[in-house]
This record gives sequence, C-alpha cells and structure tokens, in this order.
Amino acid sequence: MSPNTHDPAARSRLFGTLTALVILWPLFQAAEVKPGALFEAGNLKVIGNFLAAFLPPETGAEFLAFLGKATLETLAIATAGMALAFALAVPLAYLATGAGRERVTLNPLTRSLLTVLRGIPELVWALLFVRVFGLGPAAGVLALGLTYGGMLAKVYAEILESVDPAPARALRHSGACRPLAILYGLIPQASKELASYTVYRWECAIRASVVMGFVGAGGLGQLMDQAMKMLNGGEAASILLTFMLLVFAADGLSGLLRRGLETPPAHRASPFGWRSGLLLLGLPLTIVASFAFLKIGFSELLTAEAGRSIAEFIASFFPLDLSAEWLQKVAKGVWETLAISVVGTLLAAIVGLLLALPRPHAPFAFVLNTLRSVPELVWATITALAVGLGPFAGALALALHTAGVLGRLYAEALDNAPPAPAQALRLAGAPIGLPFLYGTLPGAAPQLIAYTLYRWEMNIRMAAILGFVGAGGLGQLLYFELSLFHYAQASTVIAAMLLLSIAVDQTSTWLRRRMR
Amino acid sequence: MSFCLDGVGLTHANGFTALADITLRAEQGERIALIGPSGAGKTSLLSLIGTALPATAGRLEVLDFAVDGRLTAKFKPPSQGSSTVATPLDSRLRGNDSRALRARIGTVHQAPPLPGRQRVVTAVLAGKLGQWPVWKSLLSLLHPLDIPGAQAALARVDLADKLFGRCDQLSGGQLQRVGIARVLYQQPDLILADEPVSALDPALALATVKLLVADAAARGATLVASLHAVDLALNNFSRIVGVKAGHIAFDLPSSEVSDALLHELYASEGQELPTLAGEARFSPQAAANDAAIRAACC
Repeated sequence: MSPNTHDPAARSRLFGTLTALVILWPLFQAAEVKPGALFEAGNLKVIGNFLAAFLPPETGAEFLAFLGKATLETLAIATAGMALAFALAVPLAYLATGAGRERVTLNPLTRSLLTVLRGIPELVWALLFVRVFGLGPAAGVLALGLTYGGMLAKVYAEILESVDPAPARALRHSGACRPLAILYGLIPQASKELASYTVYRWECAIRASVVMGFVGAGGLGQLMDQAMKMLNGGEAASILLTFMLLVFAADGLSGLLRRGLETPPAHRASPFGWRSGLLLLGLPLTIVASFAFLKIGFSELLTAEAGRSIAEFIASFFPLDLSAEWLQKVAKGVWETLAISVVGTLLAAIVGLLLALPRPHAPFAFVLNTLRSVPELVWATITALAVGLGPFAGALALALHTAGVLGRLYAEALDNAPPAPAQALRLAGAPIGLPFLYGTLPGAAPQLIAYTLYRWEMNIRMAAILGFVGAGGLGQLLYFELSLFHYAQASTVIAAMLLLSIAVDQTSTWLRRRMR
Repeated sequence: MSFCLDGVGLTHANGFTALADITLRAEQGERIALIGPSGAGKTSLLSLIGTALPATAGRLEVLDFAVDGRLTAKFKPPSQGSSTVATPLDSRLRGNDSRALRARIGTVHQAPPLPGRQRVVTAVLAGKLGQWPVWKSLLSLLHPLDIPGAQAALARVDLADKLFGRCDQLSGGQLQRVGIARVLYQQPDLILADEPVSALDPALALATVKLLVADAAARGATLVASLHAVDLALNNFSRIVGVKAGHIAFDLPSSEVSDALLHELYASEGQELPTLAGEARFSPQAAANDAAIRAACC
C-alpha cells in the first residue's frame, strides 16, 4: 500500500467546521434564540387566544368591501410598480452590462447606482416616500419601481453576459451597432430566461406590495397592520386567506406564462399569435388601469414647490450622524440584523430540506406554499406574539417564510438532479436515505447552496426591516428615529443597511465561488 | 444456483416488448458473456436480473430470492434445494430483504452513475452502502472510513493516484474504471456488467475484462457481462449467450460458437456481414435448453 492514505481534505474540513461554529455561536446568541419562549405559558396563552379568534374569519359586508378594495389596490401597486421598474431596468441594464461590448468595461457608475437601488430595502424607500408624498399608494409604487428596477437591471445584465457572446461579436465585426447586435445576437438566446425572470419578479412584487401597507402605503398590508394592532383575529384571518389566494393565483398565472414560454413558436411569419397578441394588448391596458385606479398624479410631483420640498427632505438627511455614541448603537443593530438573517436562513434551510425530501406528497407542497405565501413581515407580527418582541421573533419569521421558498426551490433542484447515481446505489442495496446522501446530494448540493446563499442576500435586506414591527435589528432603530424626525440618525442607519447588504452580497458571492 | 429466469418477459408501458420468454439459468461461479446487436435487449436482461426492472411475465429467482413480477420479491427459505419447487412465503419481500438481496448484486453500468462533484474515494466506498451499518455510512461522508480499501480497489484498475480526485476531473474511461473499482470493493456474489469497457481503448479493455473475470473466479462470484466486442467475449468467457430481438438466440460454451452463428446474430447490422438465411436448427436446441432449465429451475 502506498503511504498516501491520509485524506488531504480532512484538515480543511475540520477547520471549516470549527470556523463556522465559532462564527455561528455568537450570532445565535445575538439573535436571542430561545426555543423555550415558544412554549412559555404566557406566550402560549396570547398566541392561543389570538389564533382562536381567527375562527370564524370576518365576513361582514362592510369589511369585505374594504378587503376587496385593498386587494385591488395591492394588485395595482404591484403592476404599476413593475411597469416603472421595467422602464427603469431596460436602460440601466443596457448601460451596466458588458454584453455586446468590444472591450469589457464594468461601468462602475451604473453598477453602483444599481447597488444602491437594490441595497436599500423597498420598505425603507416606501417609508421615505410616504414622508414626501404622504400616506397612499404612490409611495408604494415608487418604492417598488426603484428597488425592483435595480434588481431587474442587475439580473438582466447578468443574463445577457451569461449567454454565448460570439453571435453579437460577429454582428459588431460586420458593422452593426451595439443595441442591434444585442437584439439580434443575444436576445434570442436569452429571451426565455429574461421573460421568465420578469414574470417571477412580478409574482414577488405582489408579495412585496402586500407589505407596503405596513408603512402606510396602502393595500392589504395597511388593513393587516390595523387588524394586528387591535388583535382582531377574525379580520386578520380573512386578510391572511386573501393573501394566500392572491399569491396562489399569481403563482398559477406566472406558471402558466412561463409554460407558455416553453412551447415552441408556431410556424408562421408573424411572431405573434392570438395569445401573445392578447397579452401585448392586455398588458398596457392593465398598467394604465392600475395607475388610474391608484390616482397617482405624477404631474403634481413635477411642480417647483414639490421639487423644493423633496430637495429639502433629502437635504435634511445630511450630514450623517457619525457620533461615536450613535455609531455604537448602529453597530449593535448591524450585528443583530446579521444574526437575524443568518439564523433565519439556516433554520429555513433545515426545515426547507426536510419538507422538500418527500416531494411527491401533496400535503408537504401545501405546507410549503402556505409558508411562502405569507410575507415575512406578516409572519413577524405573529411570531412577535408567540415569543415576544425582539430578534428571535424576526429570525423565526424569516425562517418560516424562507423555509417555504427554499423548500420549493430545493424540491425543484432535487428533481432536476440526475437520478442515475442514487438509483445505482438503491440497486446495490443501500438502506433508505443513503442513496440520497451519496448519490443525489453531491450532484444537487452546489445548487442547494447557491439557492440558500441567494436567499440569504435577500434575507439580509428583509432582516433590516423586520424591526418595523418590533422584531429587533436596524429596522427598529430606523423606524424609531424616523418617527422622531431624527433624519441625520436615520440616514446613518440607512447607510449601514446599504453597507451591510453589500458586504453580504460579496460574502455570498465569495462563498459560492469557493463551493464550486 | 445463482439466478434462474423462467419464461421471463418485459413489456414496457408503451407496449414495446423488450424481452419475451427468456429462460436462462446460471450456477454460482459461472462467467457468462451476453452478445448481440444494439437494441437486442442485453441491458434489459441485466436490469431484470439485477432487480432494477420488474419482469412483466414469467418467474425469476436471484441468489435464493424469488422475485415476482412487481419487484415485490418473496423470500425463499434457503434450506430448500434449488431443484424443488419454491414455496414463496405469502409475505411481500420487505425493504430489508430486498436490500439484503441487492447488497449481494454488483452492477457495472454502461454510463458510470457517479455524481460529478463526489470524490473518487467516496464513490468507491459507496459500493458497500448496502453492507455497512447506517452510522458508518453517515460518518464516512465526513471522513472516508476505509481509505486503504478504496485505494486497493482503485489500484486494481490502475487509478490509485486518483483516490482523492473528484469524479468530474476524470476522463470517460477513467470514470468507467472507477465504476468497476466500486464493484470490486463491493465484492458481490453476482456481478452484472453492462458494456463495462465501452469507453476504454482495446488494450485497457482486455485487461479490464480479464480483471473482472479473475475477480469473479477468485471469489467464486457469478459474472454476467454484456460486450460489444465478440473476440473479448469468446476469449475470456466460458459461456456465451447470444441475444437478438428480445430472445435468446443461442446459449453455448464459447468453444461451440461458430462464425456462422455470429453472422446470424449480427445479420441485421452492418453492410459487410453476409445476410444468411435464418436457419431453424438453433431454435430447437434453444427450446430443448428451455425445457431442461424449466424442469430444473422452478
């Protein structure tokens, strides 16, 4: 036997595990993880009473009329916000992407603009816009437009960079200008992915617009906030059911649209059939109707006086409060937010994997969809009742929603993993579970980890705003300072959020590259 | 008796009949080569014996287990001699029994089913998952528990230096040999090899087939290998089974396999082979074989 029987990876594995423990332990401390709090008599009583009040759901005619209007408002905010985001994303993506360029330029200016747009959570934008434009849906639409515009632009740019650049390069070498080279050389390769991602984002926008109401930007969230504050279980139940229906419907529609993208084009000269024609006609109509329904008068924003008040508002955020005392408080908020996001994502990954394993069974799919359809912020209002205000409530809320999201993604990834290795092990008599660990997981793990890390990037932004409903972290600080009109302090918090989300993005990218 | 098929057929859900009325019996320690044109049903036959696919007709016994058509095999008490009629217990073969059976069958797959990101050492050790206790298999994911064993198996296929490499860093031929090393490490009573050397150059193919044969001979294991190269089959295996269009065309000692038989077997494939008229003299012989085997088997 040759002497080389020592596993060369053993040391780095041990070291990696120890490092992870050393980092995770204080984070669990900071998140104030106390599973016992779930079972404390007092907490059980509060949440029990609240949940008991869920039945029967409120079905009064007056309330249902409110609910119907709020639902329409939510849909309209999502659609109008997405339209704005798309209008913003296309030029930004064109500027930011390296695709179709003769020489690779990273365009740092556009890229950092995108980072700022994405890095500040939509709810923070909404909270700010509410102060400029007053309570109402306009703030929600603008917030959604800016954040999602940034996200769409970044992903569009990345998709365009990920396809084969040769066709576009060839076109440019034969004299085509850059936009045309992209249209003819890259879009045909990327169109399906681009459309699919846009539809997926619209689905997310519906969820996001639901929670806009928590900061007074209209829609279902506003109703929910009121119901929760008054501990009106019946109303909360009706609203939650509406949430779920809405999200399921959006899910179904988006699935339908994405399946439509899968079907090969019909054999005819015109690229449009009756279905795509209907869509092209219906889409602008829906967008116009949404803006009309929300009665957003953008012309009012363009007056000199509005401009002056906006400028004053922005100016009041500067200079940032950088006193040592305040920075110390913000640092504690940063640490707590980080802890919420990490603990929440980890718990979600574990629960999601467990729920994804028995994937053929319907009840698990239903549990996943239910977890996913309730936004984090709504979960937080419920978990805060269950374990009391504080970071643990935030981590739990994050975990519940994310478990639904990750569970679904995991199930898809596991379905797509090549079945042969696990099947071979099953045929060699491996006991239950081991074919999965030895055969399926090695193939699927990179994707599972990538999904988890992507989700962590989103969760850090979410963790930053869970504090709006009292679940600790930076959000709590921001909400507090804004209600006291301490704008200089608030802007420090916003800057911290931005830096934190950038840092998490970098770490996540680095980890993903390491795992490859 | 290693395995015994009695009138076994396989019809897919779409109505395509891959195998029909296959009767075949192998004693423990026999080494059999399956030859025949592409699509004849060699892989299907190996899948049936390996309990990967349930037969849709006939009866099947593998390593003292009676496997019924729905892959819910029934245990046959080993005390009963193979010549007596099996009296399957009425209970369905439970997961444990089915795993116990499968742990004794080693399969070399045509496309090695190894996850790209798995390390070679783990891929080889996975051969013993059916035999190891679960805690050991779990622990081995954290740190490989039998490095010398895996290295010894890899050394036999000349890949000891790839022990800690990753499967996606190997070439197709190297990967196929890792698949063989896994089966060598598993040490099964029945080795089923489906085109085990299809990705190897001729010299390596010969050495690898010899290795499989030698391993089976040394341990008294049964070996059934489907091979494309007829010379490899004739020179290394004592018994040759020709498969054609879902039927067994002939089942003879290798010394009795004539050129005429081979031309008949591959007649429909390739331009150079002369198209011989179908001769009836082989069918009666196969039928006689069938009757004898049926009498002895089930």
